[in-house]
Amino acid sequence: MDDVLDEVVPSEDLQKFEKVYHEQLHQGRVTPKAQFEYAWCLVRSKYAADIRKGILLLKDLFNSHAEGKRDYLFYLAIGNARIKEYNKALHYVKAFLEIEPANQQVLSLERQINKRMEKEGMIGIAQEIAFGLSNERFIWRSLSSVEKAKKGVVCLV
Amino acid sequence: MDCVTTLKILVIGESGVGKSSIILAFTTGDYNASFPATIGVDYKCKVMEVNGLKVKLGIWDTAGQERYRTLTNSFYRDAHGAILVYDVSEPKSLAKLNEWVEELQVYSTKKNIVCLVVGNKIDKDRVVTRQAGQAFAQKHRMLFIESSAKTQEGINLAFEELVQKIIETPGLWESTGSSSNIRITNEERRQQEQSSCYDYTCSI
Repeated sequence: MDDVLDEVVPSEDLQKFEKVYHEQLHQGRVTPKAQFEYAWCLVRSKYAADIRKGILLLKDLFNSHAEGKRDYLFYLAIGNARIKEYNKALHYVKAFLEIEPANQQVLSLERQINKRMEKEGMIGIAQEIAFGLSNERFIWRSLSSVEKAKKGVVCLV
Repeated sequence: MDCVTTLKILVIGESGVGKSSIILAFTTGDYNASFPATIGVDYKCKVMEVNGLKVKLGIWDTAGQERYRTLTNSFYRDAHGAILVYDVSEPKSLAKLNEWVEELQVYSTKKNIVCLVVGNKIDKDRVVTRQAGQAFAQKHRMLFIESSAKTQEGINLAFEELVQKIIETPGLWESTGSSSNIRITNEERRQQEQSSCYDYTCSI
């Protein structure tokens, strides 16, 4: 593991906090604590669907529960970065840094996101180049076979 | 030279005792006077040399705030070492360390995990004597050191002592190599047995 974006929630944790959340949901009242604990597990899941659900729960908390706003912002950034929504993630990072500009933890998260964007951007470019090259080769081959065919035709004539 | 092993180090203790500052001082040599409360769990890496061996440390910085108490338990798993921090200018933080010892006893999985008690902020006016900190550490059979993240005093020594002790403890750590592959396989099998709902493991 190199950074916090690689960390994955243990399945027993996710199940434990999911159970508490659903019990409270069933009783008609979910506490911010239970909702946050469940969301905190969801955004660290390896499945994008879980992460998206966690993001929704955190957004809801952010709008309804003032006390933990910095925690919600931070994990909104983490969740979005994990599903490769890097621009959204950086948006939350920026919002956080407006309040705490020198926060080491968030500055380091910003660096990790930028690093991933760069790395995946490079991979994207490399794939495009490879695709372009194979296309070029294909065109070149096609052209040369046309040339050969032409020559063949010439010979035949 | 490659690292012989990766060690998981856990840093725990009350909110505001200087856990993140100690890690920052150790990993970068920097100091930040107004360190905001850590959110959830933070992770830092550092390679250090002990007895001529290169060792990679994965340092887990846990939030001391109450809201994270139930959430951070799972990070205790498989830790090779734990640093329990209190503030020498805040006696309550040493008394409260008892609760962190209990958490450690319940949630850490390695029986011979090496623990180090650190009395931080010795640059400030002390209220807790060195003897009191030492007695606490002795009672729980833990190593003891005093430090200041601000002046760097004791910081490197704390990590050196801890890692040295871990390396000297037989059976606590495994070297990177063929044996670690076996360990991963066992871990995967254990996870598969535990749950079929969320666990999707792929063999490498």
